Amino acid sequence: MNHSQFLVSGFLRAPIYNGIGRQINQLQRVTLKFCKSHGSSQGMRNFIENNLVDFAKQNDSVVLYVKPRRHRSPVIVAEYLNGDRKWMSCHNRPSEEILKWLSLLSLQAGDTEPIRYRKHWHTDVPSIQGPWNPFTHKNPGHIIAEYPHEGLGRVFKAPQSATEKLLKIAKKRNESENKKE
Amino acid sequence: MFLNKIIGLARSPTSVNQLSNLFQRCLISSTSAFQNKLTPAQSLEVSKYDERKDPVKNINEMIKNDEAGRLFAVVHICGKQFKVTAGDIILIEGHWEPSNGDELRLEKVLLCGSQDFTLIGRPILQKDLVNVQATVIEKSLSHTRTHFKFKKRKQYRRINFQRQPTTVLRINSIEIKNLVNQNKNAESLENVFY
Repeated sequence: MNHSQFLVSGFLRAPIYNGIGRQINQLQRVTLKFCKSHGSSQGMRNFIENNLVDFAKQNDSVVLYVKPRRHRSPVIVAEYLNGDRKWMSCHNRPSEEILKWLSLLSLQAGDTEPIRYRKHWHTDVPSIQGPWNPFTHKNPGHIIAEYPHEGLGRVFKAPQSATEKLLKIAKKRNESENKKE
Repeated sequence: MFLNKIIGLARSPTSVNQLSNLFQRCLISSTSAFQNKLTPAQSLEVSKYDERKDPVKNINEMIKNDEAGRLFAVVHICGKQFKVTAGDIILIEGHWEPSNGDELRLEKVLLCGSQDFTLIGRPILQKDLVNVQATVIEKSLSHTRTHFKFKKRKQYRRINFQRQPTTVLRINSIEIKNLVNQNKNAESLENVFY
């Protein structure tokens, strides 16, 4: 199965200069939409009653809007500094779950669409000591030498040819016969 | 043509004998490939110990004069190693406590290098030698991973979906805080087995 057909892959990114000097939370604005009477908004209503003020105090950089509307299912809309907008249905969700999702949204940095990261690392300076090449950590004498070089350019282990084998045998014979004589 | 004949003769042992008889009459001179052995290229002359070339002294001089330039380090975080330099972003997968805005000092530094020198830890550098600072900039969830189990002809299939929590770190700075080889309190190498 080819995952790349439906799962987008990409590289690690971050809002520019975030974390250099200081870190800025990227969540800008949250709108909670719910119905005052419908059962599917029960969890959202509980959340607004019990947890919303605490959440707002903890995230003082986030603007919160609460928007009641009749007979529509509850929804969270989160907007980020990079213009990204995340819409999330909370139909029949309990308040604990809504709190969990909201705290996740507040820690994310826009671009909330999940992608498969090809690398878990991003750098602007890929190499400081220079990228590897075939001559790094090699004997400088080999690098300075002029090529083609008689000694360095030779094949290390040339297989013995049939001619050479025969010449060797002949040489041996010659020597042994000379000794006899 | 002559070579082909020799090779053809060489295939049968009897004809090899004939051929070698033939060669007895000839003067045999082996090719230069047999005689000349490979000589190593001009070897590097190893000079005697020269105080001006003492690496530790030179590195310390660089650190003192702030000439080390941009540094990189290999840090060990949550079971993984990253080669980082100031300004890098790294992503850590799995549950990890630090949250947005937390400033961390990464203490497991396996290696630290600059353009001209490299400090290698065994296995990690002394804690007071290199200071790697990082800030948490994002906590998120990874993409959905599918775990699909299937056994054929057994009416068995299970499908699970899973998302891992992730943490994104920005590396703020890498600094060499002390001189190399100066800490007398450091563990002596006699007690270290590696």
